[in-house]
Amino acid sequence: MESIDKISRIDRSKLSGEYYFQSLLEQAYHCGLLLDSDLERIQFDCLSILAKQTESYNSGDSSSIRIETAQNILVSVMYTIGMCLKTYTNPDDAVIALQNEKMETLFEEGRRQIDRMVNTTKILHSNIIQHLVDTQNVFYRSTVVDAIRGFFKLYYPEFGAQEIHITGDYPTCNGVSDLAGVEFIRKYLENIYCENTFCACFPVENIHHLLCGYHEDYQNLLFNIYEPVLTSALGCALVDKDIRALELSFFDITYLDRLFKNTDKSEIESILRQVLDKVKQALSLSDNLMNYLNDSISRIATDIWNSSRTHTTDKVFVIPYYPENDPFVSFSYGEKMDNDRYRKLVEEIMQCNMTEDKIMIIKEEINSFADFADILLDAEFSSVEIPEVLKLLNPVELAALAKKYPYQNDLEMLDMKENERLLCNCLKKFVNSLTNEEQKWIERMVKLLKLKEE
Amino acid sequence: MRYGLVLTEKQAIELVETRFFALKETGRIEFGGGVIDKIIYEFCDSPYISMHNYEETLHDLIEMFYYYKNETLDLISDDDLISYMKNAFDGKCRGSLELLSGRELYKLAHNLRYGYSADDEEGEDGEY
Repeated sequence: MESIDKISRIDRSKLSGEYYFQSLLEQAYHCGLLLDSDLERIQFDCLSILAKQTESYNSGDSSSIRIETAQNILVSVMYTIGMCLKTYTNPDDAVIALQNEKMETLFEEGRRQIDRMVNTTKILHSNIIQHLVDTQNVFYRSTVVDAIRGFFKLYYPEFGAQEIHITGDYPTCNGVSDLAGVEFIRKYLENIYCENTFCACFPVENIHHLLCGYHEDYQNLLFNIYEPVLTSALGCALVDKDIRALELSFFDITYLDRLFKNTDKSEIESILRQVLDKVKQALSLSDNLMNYLNDSISRIATDIWNSSRTHTTDKVFVIPYYPENDPFVSFSYGEKMDNDRYRKLVEEIMQCNMTEDKIMIIKEEINSFADFADILLDAEFSSVEIPEVLKLLNPVELAALAKKYPYQNDLEMLDMKENERLLCNCLKKFVNSLTNEEQKWIERMVKLLKLKEE
Repeated sequence: MRYGLVLTEKQAIELVETRFFALKETGRIEFGGGVIDKIIYEFCDSPYISMHNYEETLHDLIEMFYYYKNETLDLISDDDLISYMKNAFDGKCRGSLELLSGRELYKLAHNLRYGYSADDEEGEDGEY
């Protein structure tokens, strides 16, 4: 027998999660559950709480307060009352509470509710920290660990219960919306928990290789890690491959491209939901986690639908990439000369008037790339002389120098010393003056080079 | 009547209006009776206040009070600010409201904002 729900006169879908109290008042008034006199009493009671909170905020030292601060405190008061009202499963019951209970009582109960939620959220956070996805993505850790810690440090529910304080840069696949304060953080952490639990089903190196295929510089990219993992797992299930391997090939993607061609979004969604059961069995996923995965399907189906229309299925179903298998060129800096000799050499070069003389000394005295790179910075060459000196380098050495001093924009160069900035600019101009083929060769070589300082 | 200073009902209402206006101008909100009575009690024994300038001085002091609550970033309590105003008014300002507002309270606000003690004579930039 199906469970019987009490019929509610208030349409639950019209209630806001973020401004629950205000939306409940509005809907209750529209339905005739609250009268003008009720609203007037509630308003007056809220102002009384605001007066008390203001006094407490000022520690009794001041009778007045800035309007913005008072507005913030009032929003906090309403959020806190809303937290209490949310504990009633039926909105009509919450309205009855508004009619019968004092606002002060609801406010105090709301405060207790917030305190309880802060405590349980802290426990959830420490649990998440113990089971983080082992990834090199910087945004994941800085948000999930550091930013959330920052939230708990700054959160002061007495006067700013609705505040979130942090931006939560790392996005979750299923977004968090229409929530504020600790409720928002709790929902965000619940999503992270589900995503971590799912990612924990896969070997760390498989996720790393998959994400390398997603973007070679995924470590510095602000994106959700779980989404490509789930998409790849679904893809593997569709082509009957080992799901844990997350290893789709070019041929698998061609097959998937054909499978989703000329299908509409709902069809794609239904295919994905069917194959999700296969993923569930293969990875022994819990029902709770399955609810989260099911919520993600619609987003992934939209991505696949878009990609099949634009012939970019390979951007959604990612082929893993193994950067450790890339060929590389090892480049040694060579041994540096002793400091006294180096100092004398720099002085000698600086005393020369003619560029030709300076170049002659470099040719005769410098035998390692390490000394050459140092001389470029220390000998105070002008912007006219540097290109002449750079002509001494062979293409590999030029690529090594370009790797050591990569060209940066003006903002990034602000942190550099003046001589480094000059060298970077001259080097960039020098490389740009080469032929297109030579420039491309140097660019490729910069990626392949591994510099070794002695 | 202890100091020979009396306000009529009309004058008292006008003071309340000045308070309302000052709060609005400074973007502040106040619960309870406010600070008018505190200012009256503090300044009633000032040698520079008599019946002929009593009402006008109170209006200026109320406006000044709320303005400098903002300027001091609420770092000073009501009682301390009123007490500072009284000491400066009777002392260095010799009853001049212009000096009180333009010099002494300005200096107080500057000192509090930059982390100096309230009665610091010379800020870091040697302004005073």
